[in-house]
Formats: sequence, C-alpha cells, structure tokens
Amino acid sequence: MSWSWLIILLATYPWLFAADLLSDWTAPWGLNVFISGAAIIVPCSRLRRWQAVLFSGCVGFLFEARRPIPDGILALTLVAAAIFLTSNKPLLRSAPRLLRASLIVNLAAATLWFSAVAVTLGQLSFRNLGDFLPQLLLQLIASAAVTLILFWPLSLSQIAALDHMNAPLANETP
Amino acid sequence: MRELNDLKVLPSTRIERLRLIFVFWVFSAGFIYIAGGLLIRQIVQSNELKEQSDSQSRRIILKPPARGLIHDRHGYVLVENRVRWSVKADLSELQPEFQAEYRKLLAAEKARETGHIDREKLQDTARRNVLQSWLDKVWFVIDATSRNIKKNKLPVKSNPVDSPTERLVKIDDLKKHLRERRALPFTLVSDLAFPGADQSVTPEEGVRAVARFVEQFPVDGPIRLDSDIIRTYPHGTLAAHVLGYVKDTDELPPNSLNDEKNELLQKLHYTGKKGAAGIEESFNEILCGLSGWELWTKTSAGYNKELLRKSDPTQGSEVVLSLDVEIQRAAEKALAQIKDSQGKVLPAAAVMLDVNTGEILALASQPTFNPNRLADRVTRTYFDEIETSGGWLNRSIQGLYPPGSTFKVITAIAGMRNKVVDWDDILECGPSYRVGSRDFPEHDPAGYGQVDLEKMLAVSCNVWNYRVGLGVGIEPLAAEARRFGLDTPLLQMPPSAGNKNATELPFPANRGLVIPDTAYKLRIGAGPWTGGDTANTAIGQGFLLTTPLHMACVAASIARGETRTTPTIIHDPGRDGRHQGAEAIGLNGLQLAALRSGLNRCVEEGTARSVMIPGLAFAAKTGTSEYFQKGQKAHLAWIIGYASADNPAVAFCVLVEGQLDTSTWGGKTAGPVARDMILAWAKKTPVSEVKSEAEEPAR
Amino acid sequence: MDKNRQGAKASYVAFFVFVAIWIMSPSFVRMGTREAFVEFQAPALHLVAKGRDLARFWELKSKSAEELAAASRDLARINAALELKVRTLEDIRQENIRLRELARYAAPREFLTIVARVASRDSSSWWHRIILRKGRSDGVRPGCPVVFSDRVIGKVSLVHLNTCEVDLVTSPNFRCTAYLEGDEQGRIVLVSGLPANSLGTARAKIAVIPMDYLPPAGQSPKVVTTGMGGVFPAGLIIGTLDANIRTTQDGNFKEGTLQPSRNLFSLQEVSVLVPIHPAAGEILLEKRYEDFQ
Repeated sequence: MSWSWLIILLATYPWLFAADLLSDWTAPWGLNVFISGAAIIVPCSRLRRWQAVLFSGCVGFLFEARRPIPDGILALTLVAAAIFLTSNKPLLRSAPRLLRASLIVNLAAATLWFSAVAVTLGQLSFRNLGDFLPQLLLQLIASAAVTLILFWPLSLSQIAALDHMNAPLANETP
Repeated sequence: MRELNDLKVLPSTRIERLRLIFVFWVFSAGFIYIAGGLLIRQIVQSNELKEQSDSQSRRIILKPPARGLIHDRHGYVLVENRVRWSVKADLSELQPEFQAEYRKLLAAEKARETGHIDREKLQDTARRNVLQSWLDKVWFVIDATSRNIKKNKLPVKSNPVDSPTERLVKIDDLKKHLRERRALPFTLVSDLAFPGADQSVTPEEGVRAVARFVEQFPVDGPIRLDSDIIRTYPHGTLAAHVLGYVKDTDELPPNSLNDEKNELLQKLHYTGKKGAAGIEESFNEILCGLSGWELWTKTSAGYNKELLRKSDPTQGSEVVLSLDVEIQRAAEKALAQIKDSQGKVLPAAAVMLDVNTGEILALASQPTFNPNRLADRVTRTYFDEIETSGGWLNRSIQGLYPPGSTFKVITAIAGMRNKVVDWDDILECGPSYRVGSRDFPEHDPAGYGQVDLEKMLAVSCNVWNYRVGLGVGIEPLAAEARRFGLDTPLLQMPPSAGNKNATELPFPANRGLVIPDTAYKLRIGAGPWTGGDTANTAIGQGFLLTTPLHMACVAASIARGETRTTPTIIHDPGRDGRHQGAEAIGLNGLQLAALRSGLNRCVEEGTARSVMIPGLAFAAKTGTSEYFQKGQKAHLAWIIGYASADNPAVAFCVLVEGQLDTSTWGGKTAGPVARDMILAWAKKTPVSEVKSEAEEPAR
Repeated sequence: MDKNRQGAKASYVAFFVFVAIWIMSPSFVRMGTREAFVEFQAPALHLVAKGRDLARFWELKSKSAEELAAASRDLARINAALELKVRTLEDIRQENIRLRELARYAAPREFLTIVARVASRDSSSWWHRIILRKGRSDGVRPGCPVVFSDRVIGKVSLVHLNTCEVDLVTSPNFRCTAYLEGDEQGRIVLVSGLPANSLGTARAKIAVIPMDYLPPAGQSPKVVTTGMGGVFPAGLIIGTLDANIRTTQDGNFKEGTLQPSRNLFSLQEVSVLVPIHPAAGEILLEKRYEDFQ
C-alpha cells in the first residue's frame, strides 16, 4: 500500500504527458493544455489523505518543472485541494460530482498558476489587463475542454490502478 | 393614558416653546447657508472650479529636442548626437538584498562589540556593498575575454585604492539619489560605451562593451539597460574652443504650447542641454530646436493616466561653420608640437582666413579641452585641470598680446602714406638708435647697415622702424592702426540676426584692445607721451594689445590691398567678399609691390626662411615680442602672412606664448605651425589654382 | 466521520506549516526539486521525440520506387553543384587562413557545433522556449547560442542532464544587439523578445533605431547579428524588420517589430554553438543562485 502513490502516479503520468505534447502542438497559438488539476480528483476519492497529498504534490511539480512558475505555487494549490477533497469525500461520491469537482479544481488551478506567472514576469498590471484577461479566458476554455475530453479515460485508468492496489471506494470511510 | 403623555411632542411651557423656535431658526439659517453655498459653487463658480480641478488632474510633460548638428565647410560632421547606453539598478527590486547585507553587517558589528552602532551608516554601507557587487558583475561581463576568464572565474571585487573611479559606487552619490530621486533607478554606469571620461576608448571598443552587456548580462533581475541621446564631438579636442560644449539645464527650449492657457498646469520636464561655450553657446537658439510636450490626465496617486494631446520635439537646425577640418587638424597638430623644456605644451593660438571672404578656415587655441568630457557630468578634477592649464581661454580671439614686429607692416604703411619714407628710400641703420636719453637696440648687435623697405621686412630691422615711427609721430601711427581695424570688435553677428551686440563666438576680446596714443597714456595715468613710447609702438611693443585674429585680418587685408577684413566663422557659399569699413590700402603700385615683395623675401631669405616650402611661395612677417610673466621677461613668437605669394587665397597668424625657460623666436617657433597650415590648405587645392587663380579652396 | 474532520484540521495546520517551511527553504532545495522532476520527465521526452523520428522514417519508407528514383536524381544534381561549391570554399578557407596569419589576426571565437533534435516546444503566452534532446552530458552549457543554418533561433537558458531549454528569439528573456540592413553607418540596435498578446503571435521588439534610419525601399530590411557581444557569431540573420516603425515616447529613437526569420515553432533540428572558452555571461548564469562574495 505504501507504494500505491507511485503506482497511481505512473498510471496518471502518460495522460499528463499527452497533455504536454498537446501543448507542444498548440504552442503557436499561445495555448497551454492543462489537466493536472483534473488528474488528482479520482485518487482523492479513493486514497488516504496523506497518499492523496503526496500524489497531488508530485503532479503539481511535474507540470511546474519545465515552466517558470514560481516554485511550488501549483503543487501547493493541488495539495490544498487534495486536503479539502479528502476531508469532504461526499463531494466525490458520484460520477457527475467527480466531473464537477475536476472541472472546478482544474480551472481554479489553471487560473492560479497563470496569474502567478503573470505576476512574476511583471505582466500583470492594470495597464495590460486587457491583454491578460482574454489570454486567461482562452486558457480556461482550453482547460475546461481538455478536462471534459480527457477526464473519463484518465479516471478510468486511474480507477483501474486503484482497483489493482485494492484502494477502498470513495463512500467508505478510511 | 400614561402612554399618551409620553407621546407629547410640543413643549408645554412658553420658555420651552421660545427655545424651540430659536433652535429652529438657527438650524434653518445654517441650512440656507449651506444650500446657498452649494448653489453658488455649482452654478455660479462652476466654470472656474472646473478649470481648477482640470489643472489639478492634468499635467504637461515637456521633452527636450535633439540639438542640431554642426558641420564644417565641406559638410564633415563636427558635432553630432549619439546614443548613450547606461546601466541602472532598480532599487526597489534590490530591497531584499539590501536587507540581507544589512543583517550580515549588523551581526558582524555586534560581534565586534564596539559599543555604539551607527545603524544609518550601516544601511548605507549595505546598500553600497550590494550595488558594488552588481557593478563588479557588469564590469566582469564587459571586460572579460576568454583568456582572463580562465584565470579568474569570478568578478574581481573593486576597491577604492586601485580601481578606476567609474567602477566604484560612491556612497555620497547613493545617499543623494536616495534623498532626491528614490523612486527612480540608480545609475551604475552612466555611459557604457565611454565609461570613464578619463579613459580613451575607441568607438568600436565602446560598441563592443554595449554589445557584451546586452548579450551576456542576465535579462531578468534588478539591472536594466537604458538609452538616450547625448551630444558628441567625434573629433575630440579638435576646434574645441570654437565648438564649445553643452551642459545640463532645467530651462528647456521653447515649445508650441500656449503658456497663458496652461499656466496653472503642473509641468514636468526632462533635463535639457544648453550650449556653454563656443558656437554651442552663441548659436544656442538655432541649435536647440523646439521642445515637445504631452498633456496627460493623472490619477489621484499622481501617475499618468491618459494622454490627451502631444506634440513631438523638433530637432534644432544645423550650423555650417567656415572651418576646414583638415587645416584645423594640421594647425592643432603643429601647435601640440611646441613644448617647453619639461615637455609641457606652450599656450598658443593659430588662425587661418580665406583672404577674399574673411571666412575662418582654422581657429585653434592651446591648451585645450575635450568637450566630450564636459558633455555629461563634469568631474571636478577635469574642470580644475582645465582651469589651472588656462584651457578655457580661446587665445586666438580672447588673448591680448603686443603684436611685436608683425606691427612693422603697419608702421611701414604709415611711413609711406605720410610721406616720411618711400619704397626705395635707403636708411642707415646701426646697432641701436637713441631716443631722448635712451638707446633703443637692434636685435642684431651688428646692425643692418643700409636698409630699404624690402630688406626691413625681410630681416625685421628695428632701427628703420624707430626712425620712421618717430618721423610719422604717434597720432598718425595710431590712426593707421585704427584704419586697419586693430581696435575694431570682430566677429559681430550680422545686423539681420537681431541682437546687436551678439557675437559669433562668445566673449571675443573686443574691449581690451589697445592702440596707444597720448590721450590713452594720460587716461591710464602713466604720464605724458614720450618719443620712447612712439619708438616702442613702432615695433609693436609698449602699450599695444591685440589678438591673433586681428593680426590675421591685417594679413588678409594687405593680401587683398585693402584695409579691413571682416572675419566670420559661418560658411556661406554666396558671400560677396565685401568687408565692413574696408577701403583701398592707399599706396601706389610700386609701394604695394615693394611691401609684398618684402614679405616674400622674409620667407625666401629673411626671418622665416626656416619654414620655406619648396615650390610654394608665400608671404610672411615674423615677430618676437616681449611680455612679462611673473615679473620676468618672456618672448611671444608671432608669424602672420598669406599664401600663395602671387595669388593670395589664405591668410594666417600664429602666436606662441614662450615661457621663461624657452627660447621662443617668431620664425623658428611659430613658423612651423604656419607652414603646416599652408601645406594642409595646398593639399586640398589644385596646384594650378595655387599658382594662378586661387579663390576658395576646392574640396 | 468525526475523526476524519479532526484529521482534516490537523492536515490544514500541517499544510500551512509546510507552506511556511517551503517559503523559507533555501532556493537550492526548490531548484533541486525542480531538477528531479525534470530528469524524471526527460526519458519520456526522448522517447516521444524518437518516436516522432521513427514515424517520419516509416513515412519515408512507404514511398514508391519512382518517387525515390526521382528524389535521388534531384539529389545527385544538387550534390554535384555542392561539390563544386565545396571546392571553391576550400580555396577561400585556405586563403583566409593565410591572410589571417599574415595579418596576425586573432582567431575568432571558436565553437563546437552540437546538432540537436527538438524534443518539445512550449511557447504558451509568455515564454517561448523549445526543449532540445541534448544536455549537460553532451557538453551543452547555459548561454550558448542556438542556430539553424545561418539563422538565429535563440539562446540556451537552462541545461539539464540530457535535455536543455532554449529561449527563443521571441522570448522575453532573449536580448541581443544587431545591425539593420540599409544602415550604412552600422549603428547597433537592440533586439529583445516580447510577451505575446492574447491570441497574438510571438514577437520581438527592435529598439534604439536611429531617428534618421530609413529602411531600403520596397523590402523589409534584414536584422543581422553584430558578433560584438561575444555570444552570437557575426552576420547571422535574426529576422526582418516589420514595415511599421514608430517613434518612441521620448522622441529619441524609433522602434519596430521583428519578424522571426523562420517559423520558430516548426523546427525539427537545430545546432547549439558551444564556445570552447566560457563567456563571462555564462559564468554569471551558472553562479546565479550562489553567493558571489
């Protein structure tokens, strides 16, 4: 059980990587395909709190590693989300709730890292808000779309991995 | 029932009722006052108040224009504007580093247990240390070549002892900046391409330094690159006295704004430049252009909000000087060769004029200064250095000297015009001549024997001049000098320029010029005029004072056979060659021919023969006059003349102030400068023109 | 349930304690974490890029014999022409060496060329970088110029064990000096990357263009490296200057926009020029997170 987080990470990683490669393809349009936020939802519904926290931190850092995001912003956001979700498991009890949670977490995390980057690069000020907001909106639309498209295959593979390591179901108290 | 009693509103007694009425009226009056006030503000004063609020919420930012260029007569650039790259540090971004360094220093100070700790000083030191380490990194990037990097992998720490001053962050500068301009970035290197004004850096090295910084220094971080425009003198010290320099000013050039209407508005402006000497000063109004402006609304916090209207600055017009870069360079190069026994350059001046138009082709003065080093912040040391060397003085137009033997030309003309002597009269000239009780000496102890006009000019015989001068008398002699304009102010702006007293170059020595006569000597309280004074004046000594430019004009006038030449520093291809107050020289053909032939012989066989140019005959008259320096006699070396001898096109005058320890003689000391100037002129002029019809030197 | 709630409280407390420790932790801890994740990702990037190459290989392999014959015929022609060119170039090279020795001209900066495949691109909104499949183990160092034939692509910013990241010309972290075609006086201008607008394409700014500069009529002038800064060799093309040149706020200069020379985002292969001796800027980049004093 103690290696469970690594197994689930390996089950999740290809999807994150696919999203990165998709970003590569959408690069000329200035778009970044972000799915890390959605990737923590299913594990949060099944794992113990500390496992989920560790998992979220890793997912966050994987995305951050290659981007000039202020260190830890995304990872810590996801960890906070994981603590909240594992403490309120009823929120993740049915399929529509899972989708809703993934959308919310993904969009919130995207907004946060995007703004954080803007601030560190000195691009967020009142003057270029007109530039920033459309870009953020675009980013959020892309994140939402990707969540909707990729969430089911992602969660199915994650559930398979969790089943494999006998993680309890969401409605059971750990 | 009780409840009803409680609801009783109106007072029952009369006193209470009166009190109520009183309070009612007081409140009513107050209300009416307030309402009325509002009404007046809103309706009656509304326009006025709106204007006031506008003026409080708007501001004008004035922007200095680029100054106009200065060219020489052939279009070569003498003064231009160049990009100045500077390196600045964003202090607010450095705040954490300041704090860290401060804590480190404080800990060290506490560990030493010296008792009292000056925290403010420690803050300053911390700031300085941090900025210094950044400055060291900047220099590391600029300096490092692949070879010295291998040796030393880290920036060298600068120290006050053996680092050049421009590589040190000065704590006083930093304190001043924090006091006055805290919000603005602090300048670490004010001119990246020419870092220290004291350093001689080639333009290519400068560009390399900029490029190295741009490409190698980390882009993100507290260190920024900034660029603006600065005045530059590509030829360095060349013609520095003519060109002058610029200095910072808060008075910007005029702008197209209606000042009365915008009087109330807050005005901000960048620092502008104005001319501080030479052409930069006297033609400042032409060179400075028109300031630009922007009308902004501002936020309550004082930042610019919206640009309402603007007008771009207009660059100043250009000024084309009559100078010729080649001749000017030749003159200055030759002057720099003249040194005293310790190898220090001697104070000197050189002028060359176009004989026909009076346009000045070269105007040099030594010692000089480098206007590039004055264009930005002037260092105290450099300013003092110029001050002590006497480099501010433009000796060719501001230096006042006795003209010495060069004045003998005028004595000779006065002699012939007053019929005291004719061109072929031969005078017996011994080793000295007695005037009153004093023997006036010849400079050759043997004397010259039989001397006519030509020989006098060739060998510069003194006794001939004593005799002729005394024969003419001081008043006619002084009149002759005046006829040649030796006391006329020169370089006056043409009347069309507006200001009547304006001069083409600032402060020429127009007031101190002296042509002595009896009235003059009485005026200065030196007693009655004597024959000795006349003898002295006849050889250009005594009270006579004039400038090298005046003597160059005398040479040009004689070359043309006239009395006056109006010199000018401004080039005008359509100049008609008429000179103010000029009349014919007043000699007959034979007299004039003898005068000119005497000047030719001076070069061929006389006092100027050491500077003869084979194949190019020119006319000259040398002079060695005496002046007192620190109470002791020293020599002034003069040479005036024109070239070529047959077809005068240029006239020149060179003066060298000898020192006590130097032997200075007209021909020997000043001659080579004249020769080099003539050679520079001749090089640009086809030989046929030199020999036959010489007008304006061709390109 | 109650126990879970209590656990949640404890975790929030632990979370904030951790955030506090994270903020206070020295930068090398954070850098280390980052670096670990980069190395974790690197093999996957290599794998994908190799896969892409393989796909291209099979795509080519599926071509018909006629197509291949035609291509080889074309190649043979090109080969012949190039061979001729190589010979003349060899002559010129020899002559160059001879003249250099004659003039005792210091040898220019020497570079090792490392050819690298592009593993991934990342040009979203503010930063424009590509990731190459060569890293520290191949000798790539931070600050090295990256080129494609005679065009500038960018500059290496971060080097990992087997990969490195390149700031493209349009990246806000890129800055270099350049000459403009048509400026006879050879004055330098400043090229720096710009953060892209929303939906906009990547751009770079050309600043400090002299006021009297006029672009040659009817064409967009080339922007060429100066070779003065000790990073880029001279004469490489950075891009072209857009027609729209405007005067700056202070009225001292003009500025314009750079059109990058190639579509920076469709590159397959680039060359990293590694100088034999490190430049000063490189040392500064390396020492960035260390204390200089």
